[in-house]
Amino acid sequence: MTSTPRHHWIVRLTHWVNVLALTIMIGSGLRIFNSYPAFARKGESFCCYPFTGHKIPEWLTFGGWLAGARNWHFAAMWLLVANGFVYLTFVYLHGEWRDLVPRRGVARDSWEMVKFYLALRKLHPHQGKHNALQRTAYFAMPWVGVAAVLSGLAIWKPVQLAPLTHLLGGFVWARYWHFLVMLALVILTLGHVFMVFAVDPYALRAIVTGGYDEAKSPEARNARPFVNLRARTDVPVTSAAPPHDEPPSGAPPPAAPSDPEPTQKP
Amino acid sequence: MSRLWLPRHHPAERLGIDRRAFLAAGLAAGAGATLGLAGCNSQGPKSAQGLLRAAEHFNEKVERALFRHNAMNVAPSGAALAGARFPSYFIADDVPVWDEKERGIWRLEIAGLVQRPAKLTLGELQNLPRTELRLEHFCVEGWSAVAVRTGVLLAELARRAGLLPEARYVDFQSFDDNYHESWDLDSALHPQTLIVYGQDGGLLEPAFGAPARVYSPVKLGYKCTKYLTRIVFLPEKNGGYWSDQGYEWYGGV
Repeated sequence: MTSTPRHHWIVRLTHWVNVLALTIMIGSGLRIFNSYPAFARKGESFCCYPFTGHKIPEWLTFGGWLAGARNWHFAAMWLLVANGFVYLTFVYLHGEWRDLVPRRGVARDSWEMVKFYLALRKLHPHQGKHNALQRTAYFAMPWVGVAAVLSGLAIWKPVQLAPLTHLLGGFVWARYWHFLVMLALVILTLGHVFMVFAVDPYALRAIVTGGYDEAKSPEARNARPFVNLRARTDVPVTSAAPPHDEPPSGAPPPAAPSDPEPTQKP
Repeated sequence: MSRLWLPRHHPAERLGIDRRAFLAAGLAAGAGATLGLAGCNSQGPKSAQGLLRAAEHFNEKVERALFRHNAMNVAPSGAALAGARFPSYFIADDVPVWDEKERGIWRLEIAGLVQRPAKLTLGELQNLPRTELRLEHFCVEGWSAVAVRTGVLLAELARRAGLLPEARYVDFQSFDDNYHESWDLDSALHPQTLIVYGQDGGLLEPAFGAPARVYSPVKLGYKCTKYLTRIVFLPEKNGGYWSDQGYEWYGGV
C-alpha cells in the first residue's frame, strides 16, 4: 500500500472539527428558523422566499426546542470561528494556500473538468493536488464561512452592531442572507461528499490518516463519477507490471512514489 | 518539509490496517457515532449542558463588553407599523386585565435600592416627561415588528427615585401570573429603554401589556415584561420566567 503524505494533521483535525461544528450550527439554526419559518417583518410581505410557513423537517434539526437550539448555536459558533481561524492561519503560514487559491485560467480549467465529468472529454485534465473545480470550492468555503459569521453577527446584535446590520439591508435581509449562506454551505458540502464517494474514495484515508496513494488519484484512474472508481490494476502499484488495460493515450504515467516501500511478501 | 510533520509510514500501516480494514473501521465508527447520538435526546447529550452554560456566561461577558449606551435602534424608514398584527404574548390563560374592583387602583411600584421608593398611578406616569420612539422590535423567535412606543425613560424614573450606587440589576415584575425578568442595569438605563403606556399613538392595549410595560430594543421581547407592577433595583440578578427555563438570561440585542 503506497502512501505519500497529503494532509497535515492540523488540516485533518480542523476538517473533522468543522464537520462537527457545522452539523451543530446548521441543525440548531434550522430549529431556530422553525420558530418563525418566514422572513417578512410583521405586517409586511417578503419578496423572495417561496416556502413561507413551511417548517424544516424536525429530523434535520437539533436542539429540541428554541432555547436548546439557541444555546447550542451560540456555543458552537465559537468552535466554528476558532476552528476556522486555526485552519486559515495554518494554511497561510504553512504554504498550503498555494494549492487552494485559484490559478490563472481557473475558469477554463474548471470548464475542462466539467466537460470531462460530462464525458465530453476523454482524458482527465492534468492537475496538481486538486483539480480546478476543487480549488474553486475549497477557496470559496472560507469566504462563505466569513459571510455566515458576518450575517450571523448582524442578526445576533442588530442594535449594538447596527452599522453591520444596516450594511446587509437591515435585520430582515440579514436573516435572509444568513439563511442563503447556510444553503450555500450545505450545497458545497453535499457536492464535496458526493465527489469523495463517487470519484475519489481513496481521499477518505488521506483526511483520516493523512496518507494518499497518488497512483490511485482520480487523474491516474481517469475517474469521473462512478467511472473507474477502482484502481485499474490489482497488482501493487510499486511493481513494474504495466496496467492490464491500454492506458489512455497521452495520459501522464502514474506518479512514481517518492519512497517506494520494501517489496511486500505475497 | 512535510516530512517533518508526517511520518514516512502512517500509523495505520504500522498497525497493519489496509484499505479494507480502514473502510470497515470507518463504517463501524460512523455507526457508533450515529447510535451514540441516537442515545441522547434531541436536545443533545446531557453531559454537554455544563459546556452550554459556560458558553452562555462567556457570551454574556462578550455582549456586556459590546454594549454601548449610544448604540441606537432606528426602525427602517419604509417599514410598515405592525399594528394589530403585532403578536400578543402572555403566560396566563386569558389576557391579563387589572381588575380595579378586586385589586384597587393600579400603581407602578419603584422599589429596592433607591432613596425614594414610589408608587405611581397611570396618571402620574403620564405626567412625567414623555418620550415617543418608533422602534423595530426583535423577538427571540426570529421575527421583528415596528411600533411607536410612548412612555417614560426608565433612566428618568431611576433618577427621580434616587438610584443607589449598590444597584446593579433590575427586576421587572408583573400581574401576568408570576412573570418577571431581571436585567443588567446598563441595559435598563439605555436611552431607548422605556416604561411604555402607549403604542402606535393610542393607549397600550390589554393584549400588549396594559396599563404599562417595559420596552427596549436592546433586549429580546421576552425580557420586556408586560403588565408591570413593580420595578425593583437589586444588587444581584434575579433570573426570570423564561431565563429560568433555559433561555439566555442576558437576551441582549
